[in-house]
Parts: sequence; structure tokens; C-alpha cells
Amino acid sequence: MNRKRRTEILIKGSTSIAKGLAEEIQNKYDVKVIEEPNYGLIMVKMREGAKKSLFYLGEVLVTETKVQINGKLGIGIVKGNNPDLSLYLAIIDAAYNLELKETKAFKDILLKEEEKINNENKKYKSKILKSKVNFDTMDV
Amino acid sequence: MGYVAIKGGTKAIEESIKRLKYERLKEKKIVNVDDIKGSMRGLIDQVMSESSLCSRELASIAIKQAEGNMEEAVFLLRAYRSTLPRKHYTKVLDTDNMLVERRISASFKDIPGGQILGASYDYTHRLIDFDLTDESLEDAIKWVDDYENEKIKDDDTDLKKLPKVVDYLREEGLIKTYEDNNKEPIDVTKKSIEFPTERSERLQILTRGQTGAITSLGYAALRAYGALHPTVGELRIGSLPIYIDNPLDQSSKEEDSFYIGDIKITEVESFIPKEIEKEKGRKEIEFDIGYGICYGQNETKAIAMSILDNCLETGNKKYPTHDEEFVLLHIDSVESTGFISHLKLPHYVTFQSKLDSARKTKKGEKDNEDRL
Repeated sequence: MNRKRRTEILIKGSTSIAKGLAEEIQNKYDVKVIEEPNYGLIMVKMREGAKKSLFYLGEVLVTETKVQINGKLGIGIVKGNNPDLSLYLAIIDAAYNLELKETKAFKDILLKEEEKINNENKKYKSKILKSKVNFDTMDV
Repeated sequence: MGYVAIKGGTKAIEESIKRLKYERLKEKKIVNVDDIKGSMRGLIDQVMSESSLCSRELASIAIKQAEGNMEEAVFLLRAYRSTLPRKHYTKVLDTDNMLVERRISASFKDIPGGQILGASYDYTHRLIDFDLTDESLEDAIKWVDDYENEKIKDDDTDLKKLPKVVDYLREEGLIKTYEDNNKEPIDVTKKSIEFPTERSERLQILTRGQTGAITSLGYAALRAYGALHPTVGELRIGSLPIYIDNPLDQSSKEEDSFYIGDIKITEVESFIPKEIEKEKGRKEIEFDIGYGICYGQNETKAIAMSILDNCLETGNKKYPTHDEEFVLLHIDSVESTGFISHLKLPHYVTFQSKLDSARKTKKGEKDNEDRL
């Protein structure tokens, strides 16, 4: 599973999923923390709708961690103050970068969590759509 | 008259700071940061927007520390922000991919996907709800549970793919179409602005501007000092996913990027009619777009920003709201409140100098009178 999809599931899903996968790797491999969870900023670059030009909207607080497994680097970055999740993400990232055999089994867990997220999203969207206006023509 | 350097006040300052803490705590009540985060949505959104830093946690702590004082909370966040490294830049965000939670148009009744009201104070009576004084946590939890378990509406509208209202006018040729302009934006936090400014600088300063200042100047432009009559083409609120390229391989593919999280924003595209002179004095009406955007749900600010964006693009010298120096140099919370508050700092030397001049002038006048 590619990184874009994987990180989206791990961040949007329950932290227990990321924790479980990271711990499985930690129990079997020597994980070196190269950069402890630390705070930083990400600048948001946007395209505006009037003239289609680019501008900077502002910054977002993130927590970032770097780890190494068998010499391969893994990075975990997540919005907000979230040291635990950023560490789990970094470990999982390193595992995928190394193409460890365990990652094959991760796929089913991640797909299951993705389905759960999609169902939640569906429920959320339906709730929002209850506030959609139905216009009736008035008899005058 | 000579001047002497003085020092002192350390003890008094220490006591003043203690007094400030006492004022915060004297009622012997503590508000938890989590309570602020969970219940002060409007305040948090404004603080994040004006400090140009998206973090609900940090905004909540700043609000607690500042006892709810907006300008102080924004100052605290800006100061903290300056201590953090900027690690990455996001991939370009486009609001076409917004997961919409509110979206209305004042220009068209029927818009594809519909008018979605979401959460808004607009439809409330603005009567104080005195029941809130006795609101219990149990009642609140029960209300939320009941609401979440209400029957779901069967509607297949995709809130992540709502077409933009502006596209209709573009299709009709009533609004100019632009190709994507990929010129790197200027970052006003890295480079001091010089006039004339670039569009990227104007938008960045406006979006981080003080809500009250943006609203007041936008109102002034509408009322008498701007000569424009906008209609909100589309106001949308929702979340945008943010991604960064793989920091270890900038040339990496799209699917190799990192998802970081979502940010909530308010975006406004206002339609502003303008008369275009064609051949033989023939006149045609076209529409400009005024663009407004900010962190969180802050609709008035985003609408006012869309007005000011158009004013600054037009640059009619007749109006102060079209003057970029007048607008851009006076709307930043930290800059304006900082400069105003510096007036209460010691100005002993400069004031004494002015006093000396005043005394000399008075004495000169009296001497002249005596001579006459």
C-alpha cells in the first residue's frame, strides 16, 4: 500500500491501529530513534480561486519523528501535538521502506480500518446533508 | 536641561506579574485547556486565523493564559511560532477537494449540490439562552448521543466534489478564466513587504489580519469608501487534506507523499460587477471575483477579505480602502496593538524634550509680552 493512502488511514483511523503495527515491528527489530518526537511548522501553500495564483495561507503545528531500522530511515509527521502517533508512523514508515515481510500482513488491517473510516465519513456526510435546503415555490 | 539614565522597578514588575496571576485566579476557578478546546470554537478559530498558526491545542492554552484576551492570545501564539523551525511546505492545496460542511450562495438559489446550511448562527434568534447557566454535562452528552443517532438522510451528494458556483459564470464568459499561475508566492514572514506588493503578499496579510480590522475596512469599502457592490457567489466551510512531498525524495511520485492531517477553513468568492468600455463607447457588465479565506469558521472575516482583495486589485486612488499601504500596514493584530500599546511604555526622555520646548516657547512669549 502506498504511503499517501497508508498515512491517511493511520492518521484518520484509531491510534490503536498505528500502535499495534508499530509495536509488532519494535518487538522484532532494533528501532533506533534518530530524531525524538519534536514540534515544527508546515507552511500551507494554496491556490486561490479568483486568479488561480499561489499564496501562503499560514502555518500548521506538526509533530515529527525519525527512526532507523537496519540503516533505513522512517519518518512520521502528524498535525498537532501528537508525539506517540508520530513515533508509530515513523516506525511503520521505516518498515515499509525496508519492505519488511510483516508489512504484507498490515495491508488487511489497514484496509479494514479504511472501510471503517469510509463508513464514518458516509455517516458524517449524511448528517451534514440534513441541513440542505429544499426550496418550495410560494403561491402568490 | 540635562538628562539622566535611570533604572529600577524590578520589584514592582515582579509584583505586577503576581497581581496579573491573582486576577486570573482570584475567583478560585480553573478552566481546563480541554474545556476551552472543546467549547470555545469561535474564539479558537479567530486566534488561529489571526496568529496564522493552525493548532487548536496551542490556541486553547494561549486563550487560557490570556484570560480570553484576543490580542494577547494572538501575540503569545505568534511569539511561540517564532521559536519553532519550519520543517516543510505542503503540496499546493486546492479548495475543489474540500470536504464541505457548509456551503451557501447569495447569487443563485439553485446551485448543483444545493445550499447546505451546516452549522451557523445566521438562523438563530440571538436571544440569550438562560438555560445554559444550569446546563449539565449529562444533558450535553445525552443531546449529542441523541443527535448522532438520529435517522440518516439518504442523499448521494458527494460533499468532496461539489462544483464551484464561479465555474457557471466562467462557462458563460461572464467571468474571466485564468490558467493556473505557478509563480512561487512571496512569504511575508520571511521578507518585509515593499510597495507595490504582489498578490500573494496581499492575500497572506489579509488572511492573517485582525478580524475586527478586516471587517471594519471591508464595511467602509462597501458603505462609502470603495464603490463596489459585491454578492457572495459562494461561501464554503470545510476541511482540506494536507500533504507534503517525501522529504527524502522531492522528486517522488504523488502516491509517495505524506498525509499530515486536515485543516478547516472558510472560503468566500464574491462576485463584483464592473463596467467594461467596449468599442464605440459601448458598455458591458462583467464580474470580478473577490477572494477571501481564513482558518476555521469565520465568515464575516472571509467575506470582508474578499471585498478588500478586490479593492486592492482595483487600486482606485480615490479611496483609502484601495490603498495597499493604508490597508496592509494597519490590519495585523500584533503590529497594530503592539504599536498602540507601546505608547504606554516610558517616553520620559522624548516627552521631557517636548515639555522643554513648550516651556521655552511659553517663556519666550511672556518675555515678549513683558517687553511690550
